[in-house]
Amino acid sequence: MGNSKKPDVTRRTILKAGVAMPLLGIAAPAVLAQAPLKSPTKVLDFMTYADVAKAEQEGQLVFYCHENEPGTAGIMEGFRKDFPKINTSYVRAQTGALYTKILSERSAGRFDVDVIQLSDLAPAVDFQKKGGYEFYVSPETPAYKADHLSSPAGSFFWTGVDPAGIAYNSTKVSAADAPKTWQDILNPRWKGSISCKISASGLQFVQWYTLRKLYGAGFWKEFAKQNPHAFDSRVQLFDRLAKGDDLITAIGEYPAYILFKDKGAKVEFVAPADGLPATPLIVGAVSKAPHPEAAKLFVDWAMSKRGQAWYQTNPNLYYGSVRTDAPPMPTGVRLGDLKLLYPADWDDYAANRDVFAKEWNGMLGL
Amino acid sequence: MQSTRPAISAQQFAGYGVAAIAAVLVLYPVFFLFQAALDVGDPQVRPPTAYGLDNFNGIFQYPQILLNTLTVSVAATVMALVFGFVMAWILTRTNVPGRHLFEQLMAVPYYLTPLLGALAWSLLGAPESGFINQVWRALGGNGHLIDINTAYGIAWVMALFEGSVAFVMIAAVMKSMDPALEEASQVMGASRLRTMLRITLPLVVPGVLGAAIFVFAEMLGSFAAALVLGLPSRYYVITTAIYQLIQQYPPKIQVAAAMGVSLFAVMFFMLFLYRRIVMAGSYVTITGKAFRPRVADVGPLRYVLLGVCLLYLLAAVGLPLVTLLYASLQKIAVAFPTAANWTLENFRVAMTMNAARSALVNSLLLAFGTATIGVVLMGLLAWVIYRSRLPGSGLIEYVVMFPQAVPRLVFAFGLMWAWLVFPLPIYGTLWLLLLAYLTVFLPLGVRTIAGVMLQIDKSLEECAQMCGASWTFRTRTVTIPLLVPGLVAAWLLLFIASIRELGASILLMGPHSKVITPSIVESWFSTSSELTAALALIQTLVVALAMIVLVAVTRRVGAHPVD
Amino acid sequence: MQASPPGTSASLSPPSPHIEVDRLEVYYGSVPAVRGVSFNVLPGEQLTLLGPSGCGKTTTLRAIAGLEQPTAGEIRIDGAVVYSSQQRINMRAEKRGLSMVFQSYAIWPHMTVFENVAYGLRVRRTGTAEIAEKVHQALDMVQMRSFASRRAAQLSGGQQQRVALARAFVFSPSVLLFDEPLSNLDAKLRADMRIELRELQHRLGITSVYVTHDLEEALAMSDRIVVMRDGLIEQTGTPDEIYRLPNNAFVADFVGSANLIRGRHRPDLAADGLIALETSAGHIVYGMAYGRPVGTEPVVSVRTVHLRISTGPPAAAQNVWRVPVRQTVFQGDFTQVHVGWGEQQLVARCAAMEPLAVGQDVYISVEPRHVVVLGA
Repeated sequence: MGNSKKPDVTRRTILKAGVAMPLLGIAAPAVLAQAPLKSPTKVLDFMTYADVAKAEQEGQLVFYCHENEPGTAGIMEGFRKDFPKINTSYVRAQTGALYTKILSERSAGRFDVDVIQLSDLAPAVDFQKKGGYEFYVSPETPAYKADHLSSPAGSFFWTGVDPAGIAYNSTKVSAADAPKTWQDILNPRWKGSISCKISASGLQFVQWYTLRKLYGAGFWKEFAKQNPHAFDSRVQLFDRLAKGDDLITAIGEYPAYILFKDKGAKVEFVAPADGLPATPLIVGAVSKAPHPEAAKLFVDWAMSKRGQAWYQTNPNLYYGSVRTDAPPMPTGVRLGDLKLLYPADWDDYAANRDVFAKEWNGMLGL
Repeated sequence: MQSTRPAISAQQFAGYGVAAIAAVLVLYPVFFLFQAALDVGDPQVRPPTAYGLDNFNGIFQYPQILLNTLTVSVAATVMALVFGFVMAWILTRTNVPGRHLFEQLMAVPYYLTPLLGALAWSLLGAPESGFINQVWRALGGNGHLIDINTAYGIAWVMALFEGSVAFVMIAAVMKSMDPALEEASQVMGASRLRTMLRITLPLVVPGVLGAAIFVFAEMLGSFAAALVLGLPSRYYVITTAIYQLIQQYPPKIQVAAAMGVSLFAVMFFMLFLYRRIVMAGSYVTITGKAFRPRVADVGPLRYVLLGVCLLYLLAAVGLPLVTLLYASLQKIAVAFPTAANWTLENFRVAMTMNAARSALVNSLLLAFGTATIGVVLMGLLAWVIYRSRLPGSGLIEYVVMFPQAVPRLVFAFGLMWAWLVFPLPIYGTLWLLLLAYLTVFLPLGVRTIAGVMLQIDKSLEECAQMCGASWTFRTRTVTIPLLVPGLVAAWLLLFIASIRELGASILLMGPHSKVITPSIVESWFSTSSELTAALALIQTLVVALAMIVLVAVTRRVGAHPVD
Repeated sequence: MQASPPGTSASLSPPSPHIEVDRLEVYYGSVPAVRGVSFNVLPGEQLTLLGPSGCGKTTTLRAIAGLEQPTAGEIRIDGAVVYSSQQRINMRAEKRGLSMVFQSYAIWPHMTVFENVAYGLRVRRTGTAEIAEKVHQALDMVQMRSFASRRAAQLSGGQQQRVALARAFVFSPSVLLFDEPLSNLDAKLRADMRIELRELQHRLGITSVYVTHDLEEALAMSDRIVVMRDGLIEQTGTPDEIYRLPNNAFVADFVGSANLIRGRHRPDLAADGLIALETSAGHIVYGMAYGRPVGTEPVVSVRTVHLRISTGPPAAAQNVWRVPVRQTVFQGDFTQVHVGWGEQQLVARCAAMEPLAVGQDVYISVEPRHVVVLGA
C-alpha cells in the first residue's frame, strides 16, 4: 500500500504541507505520501502523521535490521514499551546480506517488511532509487539537519551514528605498546592477533573508504599482511578482545567499548587524531509494507526525542544521536566532540562498493 | 466370470500418489539449484537470461577451499572410523561392564548436535581463551596445548559428534558376523590375536569400507563445526564457503550454486560407490538373522576398556555440557574466574530473548509435525519402493535417496528459490521449513522404516491376501500393526533430526519462523559466547525433557516382538 | 467387494476339473522358473507337485494363488479364467477365493490364535457369533482349542502349523494350497502330521494342491502326483503309477531309489510277455515293457527294494546272479547293500537281515515284473 511518487508530481501538496520547509534546507521539495494532508497528532511526547489507532489495529511491525541480536531485540523492546499493542518481529542480518535478502524477496513479489535499518548509506540510496522506501516526511523531520536525511527528505533518516576507533586488550598490551594512530595497526607485532569486520558491514566499508582516502590505496594492502580475523558483529570483536583471543581490533566501535567496559572487560579505546570513521545508521519505512501505519509510527518514534534517547542509552545500542537537540551519550561524550570521518562524496563512495568488496573478500579468502 | 483389474486400484493410487509427492519435493528445488548454477546472466534478474558453465570456473579460483575440505573430511573420517571401530569392538566383542548402557549412550553426541559440540570445544580449545589452554598455562606450559580452530580441531569435533554413525554401521557389521567363523579358527589352534587379524578383520573390512565411504560423504557436507571453528581463522570448507558467498555482500549466488552442484556431484558419486560395495559384498544385511557374536572375556583389561568408553563419553558429552554451564554462569568466561565474575544474568537475558522463546516453541511444533507427517509419507514410500511391485519403484528409490547426496545447505538454496516463486505464500513461514525438513529427511526416514519393513516376512502379508483381504484391509490389520515399533522409532528419529537441523533452516528461517539450532548460530555471531552458552543449555534442557516424555509415552506402544 | 469367487463349496459332479493350468510359463527376467506346465486338478482330489528344489513347483503354486506374475499361459479355476496372458487377465490373489498354508506358517505375532484363525471370516464380514462358532470348530479339528486366547508368537512350530491350517480352512474355501507346510518340522512330527493332514483333507473334501520335495509325503498324501524338474513336468500320475512305472531315469531315481540298467535288446530271448536285454557284461536281464516302446538300447529301472539278497541260491529261474558284496550300510529299518555286478554296482535295500561281510558272495535276484522299461 502506498506508492512512491516522483518529487515533481505533487507540487500542490507542498503548498498544503504544514511542514516548516525552510528548516529543511533541501533543494528539492518534499512530498507527502498520501493526500489529502492531515495535521500531525501528538502521541506520548512526539508528533506523528500516522493513524495510531489504525497502527494498533494492524497490531504488527516487521523490522529488518543490521544490528546484532540483542541490539535489534533492544530496539524492538523500546518501541513495544511505548506501544504495547503492536507486536514486533525482526529479521537480523549484516547490512550486505540484509539488503540482498530484501531485494530478492521483492523481486519475487514478497512484501513482508515494514521498516528497514541499514548501517551503510550506499544501499540506502540504492533502495531509494529503486522506490523501495515509502515516501513519508515525519513531523519530527525539522529536528534533523539536511545532511542527516535522505535527499529529498522523506525516504530515510540517520537514526544514529556508529563511530569506530582502535581498541586493545589492556592486560596483554601495555600502554607503551598500545596503538595511537591508524598507522599503528599495520605494525607487524599484531600479525595474526588483530580483528576487523566482514565485507558485508557498512562501517567496515566506511573505514576502508575514508582511511584509503587519507593514506592511499597501499594502506589496506599492508593491512592484508596482518592476516586479520573478520567477524560479523562488534560483540564478537570485543568478546575476543576481552578474552585475549585477539590483542587489538582495527575497528573498535565506541558503543561496544562502552558495553564491555561496563561488564568489567579489560579493554581500552583509542581515538586516533586523524579521526574516527563513522557510519550512519539508516532507518526508513518500506513501500508496499503490510502494516503501513505502524511503519510510519515507528519512523516517527525513532526520530523523536524519546526514540533517540532509547537508541542512545540502551546498552546494546549506545548510538550517537544526530538529532540537533540530543543530549550527550551516557559517557558524557557528544558526537560533536569526536572527530568523525565520513565519506566526502557519497556517490563516489557508493561507486566503490564493488572495489571494496573484491579487495576485502580477497583479503579474507573468498 | 471374468474379472479384470479396475482402472486404478487403491494400492496403485496410494503408491503413485506418494511417489509423485516425493518427486515434487525433491526434484523441484534441485531444478532451481541447477538453474542458479548455470545462470551466467545478471544475478539480479530472474528468470535467468543466459545459461553457461562459467560459474564452475569460479570454483577453481579457490583451490585452498577444496584442499581444506578434503583435509578436514579425510581427517574426520579417519578419526570417526577409529572411534567407531574401537567402540564397536569394545561394545560388541568384549565383556566390558555396562555394555548395553554404553551402546545407548553412544547416540547422545548425535542428539547434542555438532553445533553444541563446536561451541563447547571452542570454549575449551581456542588458543588464547580456551579453558584447556588456560589450565595448561597455569600449570606452567607455554602458549597453547591445543588449537581447536585448525583443520584437525574441526575434524576432531566432527568425528566426535557426527561420527556415531560410523559406530552404528561398524557395530552392525560386527553383529552380523557368524561367530562360527571365528570359532573355527580358534578350534584349529589360532591365538585370539591371530584370529582377529586373519579372520575377523578381513571379514569386517568390506563393511568398514562401506561405512568409510558413507561417513566421508557425510563429512563433505558437514557445516556446523566448520562454521563455528573455521570462520574465525578464515578456514573455509566448501559448505561454509557457500554460506559465506550467499551471505556476503555482494553475494555470489551463482558461484555458490556451482559449488553446491559440484559438491553434490562428488557426494553422489561417493554414495553410488557405497551402494556398490554394500550390494556387492552383502556383508551387512538388514533382513538376515542377527547372530549373537561371541563376547570375549578380556579379564582385567575390562576396566581399561571401561575407561576408554568413559573417556569417549567425557569428550563427547560430559566435558561439553559442563563447559557450557561453566561459561554461561560467568560474565566473561575464563578458566579461573574471580568471585565477581559469577552471574545469572546470561540466563535471565536468554529467557527474555524473543528468538529463544519463539524458536523453542516453533522447533517443538515443527518437529512434531515433521515426525508425524513424515512417518506416514515415508512409510508409504518405503512400502512402494521395497514391497509393492509397482513399476518404476527403483527410480523412486533413487529420487528418495537423492537428498542424501546433497548437503543440506545446498539443498536449502534450491528450496529457497523454488518456494520463493511458488504462488502459495509459504515462504518465510514454518510451512516452508516443514516442507524442507520432509524433503531432506526422506532418505533417513525411508531407510529406517524400510529396515523394519524388510524384516517382516512377506508371507505374513501374502497370507492375509490369501484370506481374501484387500490391500487397504491387510495394510490396516497386518502390515501397520507389525510396523508400529519401527514406526515409533522412526517418529522419534525424525523428531530429533528436525530439532537439530541446521543447514537448511539457517537459510530458510523467516521472522516468524525462527527455530532452535540456527538461532543458536545467530546468537554466536552476534552476542557474547556466555549468552550463547546459556541459550544453548536452555534449549538442550527443554529438548531433553521433551524427549524423555516422548520416549516414556511411546515405550508402551509396540512392545511386542515381531517374530 | 469381492467378485464372485469361483466356487465356494467342493463340487461333487464328475470330473470337470476344478483347477486347470494350461501351458503356464513364469520367467524372472530372462531366468526361467516354469517353462510350460499343464495339468488339471479334479474336485476334491489332492494333487502334489513334487520335485527337487528349483524345479518350479513353488512358483507354479504361487502362480495359481495369484502371488506370482506369470509370463504366459492360462489358469482357470472352476471354469473361470483367473489368469490369461492372451486375454490380459490377472485376477488379484485376494479375489480368487483360494486359501494357502505357507512354509513359514505366517502366523501373525501381534494377534491371538483366535484372531489369526478368525481373520478370513472377518474379511468376509461374518457375524461375531458365527465367527466364534466356526473358529472354535476349526481349532477343535486341529486340537488347538485350548490355545485360542494365547498370543500367537508364543507357540511352538508344530502348534503354529496347526493354527495355520485351521486358519486356512475356517472360511470353507474350495481350494487349499500347501507350500511345503511340513518341511520345518522334525521327522517324527512330520510323519504324524502327514496322516492328520490327509484325514482332514478327506473329511473336508477340499481340492488341494500340495507342494513338497519330500517323496514319502507325496506318496502318502496324494491322489495324483506331478513330478517336476527344471520348470517342466516329467510325469503325472497316481503315486502307484509313478512309483511302479516311472517314465524316465529321473523319475525312477527321484521317486524311490532305483538301479538303472542299460543293455542291448534281445528280442530272440523274449518269452511270456517278457523282454530281455543283454548288458555289456553279458548279463541277461528279463523285464516288462508295460506298453512302452523298447528300442535297441533300452534302459530298465529296478527299485532297490525289489532286489532280493540271499546267502543261498533263490528259487527263481530268471534274473539271478551271484555277486560279491562291496559295502553294507545299516539304516535301521533296512540295510542298504551294494554289490558288484558286471561293470556297475547294484544297490539293494533289504529289511532286517543277517549281517554280511564285505567281499562275501551272495545271490541277488529280482522278479521280471519289477524290471521296468523306461520311456525315452
